[in-house]
Amino acid sequence: MILDPGLNLTLRPMKYPVFFEMYKAAIKNTWTVEEVDFSHDLTDLRGRLTPAEGHLINRLVAFFATGDSIVSNNLVLNLYQHINSPEARLYLSRQLYEEALHVEFYLTLLDTYIPDQKERNAAFSAIDNIPSIKRKADFCFKWMNSIYGLQRLDTPEQKRQFLLNLICFATCIEGLFFFGAFAYVYFLRSKGLLNGLAGGTNWVFRDESMHISFAYEVIKTVRQESPELFDAKMRSQVVEMMKDAIECEMAFADDVLNLGVAGMSQRDMRQYLQFVADQRLKVLDIPPVYGSKNPFNFMELQDVQELANFFERRVSAYQVGVTGEVAFSESF
Amino acid sequence: MTPIADPTKTETNATTMAVKKRNGSLEPVDVNKIVRAVQRCGEGLTQVDCLKVATKTIGGLYDGATTRELDNLSIQTAALLIAEEPEYSRLAARLLSNFVRKEVANQDIHSFSQSIAAGYRAGLIAERVAAFVTNNARKLNSAVENSRSELFEYFGLRTVYDRYLLKNPETREVIETPQYFFLRVACGLAETVNEAVELYNLMSTFEYMPSTPTLFNSGTRHPQMSSCYLLDSPQDDLKSIYKKYTDIALLSKFSGGIGVAYHRVRSRGSLIRSTNGHSNGIVPWLKTLDSSVAAVNQGGKRKGACAVYLETWHSDIEDFLELRDNTGDAARRTHNLHTSNWIPDLFMKRVEEDGMWSLFDPKTVPHFPDLFGPAFEEAYLEAEGKKLFMRQVKSRELYARMMKSLAETGNGWINFKDSCNRKANQTGAPGAVVHSSNLCTEIIEVTSNSETAVCNLGSINLAKYVTDGAFDFEKLSANVRTAVKFLDRVIDINFYPTLAAQESNKRWRPVGLGIMGLQDAFFLLGWAFDSKEARELSAKIQEEIYYHALSASCQLSVERGQHAAFAETRAAKGVLQFDLWGVTPADAARWDALRDRIKAHGLRNSLLLAIAPTATIASIVGSYESIEPQVSNLFKRETLSGEFLQTNKYLVLELKALGLWNEDTRNQIKLAEGSIADITEIPADVRDRFRTVWEIPMRGVIDMAAERGAYLDQSQSLNLFIESPSIGKLSSMYMYAWKKGIKTTYYLRSRPATRISKTTVTAKAEPLPETPVVSEGDNQGVAPEMADAASAVACSLENPENCEACQ
Repeated sequence: MILDPGLNLTLRPMKYPVFFEMYKAAIKNTWTVEEVDFSHDLTDLRGRLTPAEGHLINRLVAFFATGDSIVSNNLVLNLYQHINSPEARLYLSRQLYEEALHVEFYLTLLDTYIPDQKERNAAFSAIDNIPSIKRKADFCFKWMNSIYGLQRLDTPEQKRQFLLNLICFATCIEGLFFFGAFAYVYFLRSKGLLNGLAGGTNWVFRDESMHISFAYEVIKTVRQESPELFDAKMRSQVVEMMKDAIECEMAFADDVLNLGVAGMSQRDMRQYLQFVADQRLKVLDIPPVYGSKNPFNFMELQDVQELANFFERRVSAYQVGVTGEVAFSESF
Repeated sequence: MTPIADPTKTETNATTMAVKKRNGSLEPVDVNKIVRAVQRCGEGLTQVDCLKVATKTIGGLYDGATTRELDNLSIQTAALLIAEEPEYSRLAARLLSNFVRKEVANQDIHSFSQSIAAGYRAGLIAERVAAFVTNNARKLNSAVENSRSELFEYFGLRTVYDRYLLKNPETREVIETPQYFFLRVACGLAETVNEAVELYNLMSTFEYMPSTPTLFNSGTRHPQMSSCYLLDSPQDDLKSIYKKYTDIALLSKFSGGIGVAYHRVRSRGSLIRSTNGHSNGIVPWLKTLDSSVAAVNQGGKRKGACAVYLETWHSDIEDFLELRDNTGDAARRTHNLHTSNWIPDLFMKRVEEDGMWSLFDPKTVPHFPDLFGPAFEEAYLEAEGKKLFMRQVKSRELYARMMKSLAETGNGWINFKDSCNRKANQTGAPGAVVHSSNLCTEIIEVTSNSETAVCNLGSINLAKYVTDGAFDFEKLSANVRTAVKFLDRVIDINFYPTLAAQESNKRWRPVGLGIMGLQDAFFLLGWAFDSKEARELSAKIQEEIYYHALSASCQLSVERGQHAAFAETRAAKGVLQFDLWGVTPADAARWDALRDRIKAHGLRNSLLLAIAPTATIASIVGSYESIEPQVSNLFKRETLSGEFLQTNKYLVLELKALGLWNEDTRNQIKLAEGSIADITEIPADVRDRFRTVWEIPMRGVIDMAAERGAYLDQSQSLNLFIESPSIGKLSSMYMYAWKKGIKTTYYLRSRPATRISKTTVTAKAEPLPETPVVSEGDNQGVAPEMADAASAVACSLENPENCEACQ
């Protein structure tokens, strides 16, 4: 069983091929920070943003500055040791690289966006001095620390503790905090602002979606192997955790939007977060709590294929790692 | 970054909200006023819910927002509903249209002639055009048909507003409405009022659209109206290499796209005699070009763009193929350059027979770039026999590398040097050689170190040529003739950034008339893209365009004289494009008569046709791009002006008629990435007609391109689409394209290996939750809410936190 303590190194026969496939698929989506073009962003930052939007973006990049680092720490400290499947660990290694890439992306972003060193340093230490960001970080640390002392998952209770951590990082942190942050980015993009940020975010979004799917896949596996772990208590813990996460994110929204941004209200943000939370709960087979629907039509843009005009944007759809032999009779 | 002031307020739940007017005064939000304003724009639109737009607009408002923000918000709100109901596109367009009109009128511009006068005062409009308009103010003002702005979809109008309308240099406010803009472009190319009105009518009815540089610059003081420039490779010396950077910078400054060959520059490891060192090859030079291209911003409107062409025998070819890779040494990567292969037939033959391929240093074989066909093969074999090559590789390994680079980066386009040269009108005399295509692989023109080829483009919008279920060939022939006249006119009025470009253009006078909206025409006719009828029509359209374009150019030759190099062309000997393809048109007598007229009177233009990608102008007229099948039934466009969501309006009509246009179907289409192939509720014939490009075999698309090619004297920007490319598929496909005689191909498009998770739909149909769920506000769902909408507006304002009625 996947959560049994140990260090399984046997790849053949492969017990969980789905994780290996996810690992391969992730590699095909390799991108680099150098590909992101920030030139239009600088023009926007210097002249096109309203003060309220400027404040929004200031807060947002401050959140991004540490968000992915927290996720990679949890991955290394908590997830890797307990998910005892070599193919799943391959995926986690890949995810770790992606988190590092995201950290590099946001590092470059902040260096580019905030030329003033003092301001920049302040942004990087946001989790210490911006209360709304600190609150989110505290939420993460609380769940990170909840299993930090666990060296082995021997009892069902320990396994549940582990699952709560996994669910927290997939659904609340990557699945809700990041999705909240993405909404601000795509809101600005729907107004034609900060295309560089949005372009890079597209790729981050694609990676994060995979991370969440992977976590779901692990949860599904555990559930098939030990259905008894998912009891009523755990369900209610997940719901509580989700509610807590929404409040953290709303405190952030109150801060981010406090100068009044036309087209994005706190009310809509709450509804959006509730909508996202419901989606997360559904996948975990927990009945939706809010029954909210998505108020942000611009997020629908994210759901459909992109058709970039190459004069203007780099198309982000190409594949890496194409293989095969020259042939003349394959169908096309 | 702007330092952020301390928040001035933290509470937004005031009972009454205020908006800030343009003059700075505050006014309480008048809900009814907003509703009325939206409703006025919604007149005659039966499928839109104006209250919903007004409600959502108000919901997104904050206290103290400006009226401008309010206007923008209502436009944005309507636009984001387009995916649900295409008619919102019209509503958003009308709202935007009003917004633009207000902006123009606020500067005291109330007529076309006032707009031109304002532009002239601001130093934007050319003196000649200003005088022409002043002298004919009355007639021109009365030619403006404001009602034609009704033709705009939101995407088109937004694009025009954001990027095409002339702006006051200081205030950045637009000084022309879309109709003034069309007429300004027309006046820039006209000699008489009648001519101006003739061209204005073509454009404002969306039947024909000149290319973007013409739209940007016609009538202005810098009328650089050409789309493409093709430059021969720099010579193999430092001075020539640096001169080329300068030329390219000058040409791209005014919106021109660049194609440049690089196969005369020596390769890596070649001896440099003067310093007794070894060359680093072409990559460092291209790296410099990369930076130079990125630095030149086309009037703040878009970044410069440049494609580099390299012949397959150049021994830096492998480095060249890596230029766009994501990984590796950043000093050897050029993310702003597009890369393109210029492949001789001999290479494809070697690939076919699994032979070796020799790679040369241009310094050793300086004669190669100026040879094609048998002369090239002879020279190549001779050099190979003398073992002058730097090294040899397996041809299939190199071919596989090319395919890999295409699939991984979309770059490294596949273009066939010999097809391009053999089937080119300009290569009739010895020494005239096509050294590359252009940025978008549709232009095939000769270049040399004293000649930079130029091309002016425009496209017929086929979406406007289907009436009562039939294609209107009469309208097509008339409009082709008009279009050719004005494309030819560009040559004389154009501003040429370099002398080499001017010289070449006067000598050859090439133009490129193309098409867009082929997919629209098929949708309107109810045909699948690759059906027999569609294929026949597509070839027939191209034949008619070629025939009438040649006739028009021959007529212009009678009136204004033939182009200087006519005697050197194949047409002068009576050889036309289809002759070069070995194709005989059905109505041979008509063509023979034209051939005789051409031999007797010459042509005003050495080349007439080229099918460009039409990315932006297609979005202006709301048609599908160029000759392409639709990419998806539901997709977004990303441009500098933000993102727009587009639904296939033809599909929506079809589904409405079937009673299937509802939220469930929309979600299914979204989940299937815009495909309806597996939505079994939809009848099979509909699913067949509305296949996406991913579901249409590329073999058919290539066949259609070849059939059209016989009547296309330049070429076409042929994108190919393979969902999950493999070397095997790609090598089969491009080998087939080569054998069909295709001259050029453009991007290879594929799809991401994994998908972004859907934020707004869930794949699994979960059991219904026990908690109450507010029904989604689609059209069916909204109707019963209508009665309460007014109170909903009010309550949401008073108590925004608790009101759920309008969500």
